[in-house]
Amino acid sequence: MNRDEAKNILLLLRHDTADAKDPQIAEALALAKRDPELAVWLEAHCARQLAVGEKFRQIAVPAGLKEQIISEQAASERRISRRQTLRFALAVVILLFGALAVFWFPHRAPDDTLAIYQNQMVSIALRGYGMDLVTNDPAQIRTFLAQKQAPSDYVLPAALQKAGVVGCAVEGWQNAKVSMICFRTGKILAPGEPSDLWLFVVDRTLVNGLSAGNLPQFSKVNRLVTATWTQGDKLYLLGTEGGEQAIRKFL
Amino acid sequence: MADSVNFENLVASYYGPLYQFAFSLTRDEADSCDLVQQTFCIWAAKGHQLRDNTKVKTWLFTTLHREFLSARRKEVRFPHIDLEYAAAELPVVSPVTVNQLDAAQVLAALAQLDEVFQAPVALFYLQDCSYNEIADILEVPLGTVKSRLTRGIARLHQLLTGEKNKMPKPKNL
Repeated sequence: MNRDEAKNILLLLRHDTADAKDPQIAEALALAKRDPELAVWLEAHCARQLAVGEKFRQIAVPAGLKEQIISEQAASERRISRRQTLRFALAVVILLFGALAVFWFPHRAPDDTLAIYQNQMVSIALRGYGMDLVTNDPAQIRTFLAQKQAPSDYVLPAALQKAGVVGCAVEGWQNAKVSMICFRTGKILAPGEPSDLWLFVVDRTLVNGLSAGNLPQFSKVNRLVTATWTQGDKLYLLGTEGGEQAIRKFL
Repeated sequence: MADSVNFENLVASYYGPLYQFAFSLTRDEADSCDLVQQTFCIWAAKGHQLRDNTKVKTWLFTTLHREFLSARRKEVRFPHIDLEYAAAELPVVSPVTVNQLDAAQVLAALAQLDEVFQAPVALFYLQDCSYNEIADILEVPLGTVKSRLTRGIARLHQLLTGEKNKMPKPKNL
């Protein structure tokens, strides 16, 4: 390292810093100790550097800057905190409205269960109905129902086959057709009453809540006693006024 | 990290050096205050990402410098400048001469330096940062920092004496 190289390196030397530990600077400093001319230059340079550095460190920091930074940050945190609180409150309100909506609006109950089907069919039988076809001919009834695309391939219990058929109608259930076959039990009917025993036949897949098995299930629905059973792909509902015995004799 | 470093203590420790560095670059009090404020604001938001406690100071200076560059909206290239023999061309500036100047004059001279020299020279004279820290802050290699310092200091001294610039233009600029 020559003198000029050493000067170049010593340009980076700052007084009272760890700069002297830099290997290159340490080597240049060692040279300065051996080179009187370089030592003189170094002494002047250090003084000069100190003086220039002092000018930089004289830059006055505005009074109140620290407090301003801290207060601004605190205000910013308060704003953020308020925003978070608002977001939380909004979320709570939305959840509340959601919960209210769940309780306010009634749940859509299933409308295709066996109980509803039974009620609906019994209501048809009791409220007064008009038969679409009045006939005592079971074959005509099947033909008519087939033409109306209502279930017509039903299987009647032997006892029911002996009951007097008087006609039929086509009713609806879950956008499908229900065959209503009207019979007479043999009792004397009130004037205007065409029948007192009704059989409803529908596709069994349209009614939920069916119990397993083909055996008739008896239940009282309104004024009627009903027997409900399945056979093949059909659900049968037979209803008449009276007790269970009144209907058993047709099964 | 942000949680483990008390914000007020951090501000108390670094707002002064940061302001002096900012003022060295901008020579404007309001701009410098804004830069320092913005730096601490960014710390509050992102300081927690810093894992090494010992890098807080470097992180703050780096952030301030980035904000300064961003504010200037000027693309600056940072070429590596090889060490050259600058001292040989350095005019003799006596401490007396320097002492006759005030800080504003020194900063005015700093402002005349090429932009790539200003930040390292300011950090050098503020004496808060080692060469490695200056390199970290400016995000340039250590060798580049030293070369910029060498040329920047030499040029600053020339300007302080009022002598005509004898320095050759740095390469790659």
